[in-house]
Amino acid sequence: MSAEHAHARESHGAGHVSPISLYVTIFLALMVLTAVTVGAAFVNLGQFNFLVAMVIAVFKASLVVWYFMHVKYQSRLTKLTVATGLFFLAILLGLMLVDYGSKGFVPMPPPIDSESVIGGSPAAR
Amino acid sequence: MSDTVAHAAHHAAAHAHHPAQQHHFDTMPQQKEAAVLGMWVFLLTEILFFGGLFVAYMIYRVWYFDAFAEASRRLSLFWGGLNTAVLIGSSLTMAMAVRGAQTNKRKATVNWLILTMILGTVFLGVKVIEYQDKFANYEVPGPNFNWLAHEQHEAAAGEHPSTALGASVAAAPAEGEHRKLSLTPEQLQRTTQIYFSLYFTMTGLHALHMIIGIGLMSVITWMAWKGRFDGEYYTPVEMSGLYWHFVDIVWIFLFPLLYLVERHQ
Repeated sequence: MSAEHAHARESHGAGHVSPISLYVTIFLALMVLTAVTVGAAFVNLGQFNFLVAMVIAVFKASLVVWYFMHVKYQSRLTKLTVATGLFFLAILLGLMLVDYGSKGFVPMPPPIDSESVIGGSPAAR
Repeated sequence: MSDTVAHAAHHAAAHAHHPAQQHHFDTMPQQKEAAVLGMWVFLLTEILFFGGLFVAYMIYRVWYFDAFAEASRRLSLFWGGLNTAVLIGSSLTMAMAVRGAQTNKRKATVNWLILTMILGTVFLGVKVIEYQDKFANYEVPGPNFNWLAHEQHEAAAGEHPSTALGASVAAAPAEGEHRKLSLTPEQLQRTTQIYFSLYFTMTGLHALHMIIGIGLMSVITWMAWKGRFDGEYYTPVEMSGLYWHFVDIVWIFLFPLLYLVERHQ
């Protein structure tokens, strides 16, 4: 019985049990960061409004992944898998935006000429 | 053959297998790590699934920023903020449910899971209120979309409200009072529909994930109630936790992107 118990212990059968205080701290941090996001949105930071909102969101997401989702205590293989996903997300977001940006579409939007949209076809004129 | 027998004999002598351990795993931790890895691979497909929508959002946001800013102000910051708090709270209760299972507390696990499901339902209820408001104000993309119906509804205390776009052009100077608009009402009518299409697609897909999550959790709660889990085997609780936290993360990005495009004037 005791041998079995020791075996479970040494192989971390229960995984890592985080203290309740850690979870509460993460929860409070997420709430405060949400308030900061809302507050920052009402301050005119120009182009930086979006950047600030995204940096806070990425930080919040990291807290959730690292502590709530226990990635901190997982094997290196699992950590690598998570990082791979983020890498491919970066490719998806980054290269798509670079592609659009490099072709002169940004910041020029496609025409939203009201007559061609609502009035009728431009060919009619 | 004799190897297998010897192996089995060795195991029987050393310790009894946990009843939840599958025969193709050597140990419970190995089994758990395989499950965690598999779940993360699934979540990666989910990240890229939502990622496509985020790319679409980003491109249209750059193209039609002013329309996105205008349309974003139509969302209620109160309901959006409340839902963010509710969802973050549900992530905490979910983490506590997993912790309860880890520490062999059956009652606590069940209670935390039920609380998580309640919070998830509150979130969906708020979403219903928000969607209803969008339907009532002609803000659902499609033939009935009317960007100016909202202003007309507010302005028309005495006048009879008209939902026709032609009449709304005449009403346009009135709204210039509080904000200088870079787009004409016709342009807004057209481009804000793109924002609302993305709004409904992204929040709708997110809500669908939550409904699935609550469904998953009701099964897990029942299993926990039946005493299927203990400190060594609680993989289903942990896996639904990973899923639930992922849904929370999606909302962490959706909230600033949809509700806070440009709140300062």
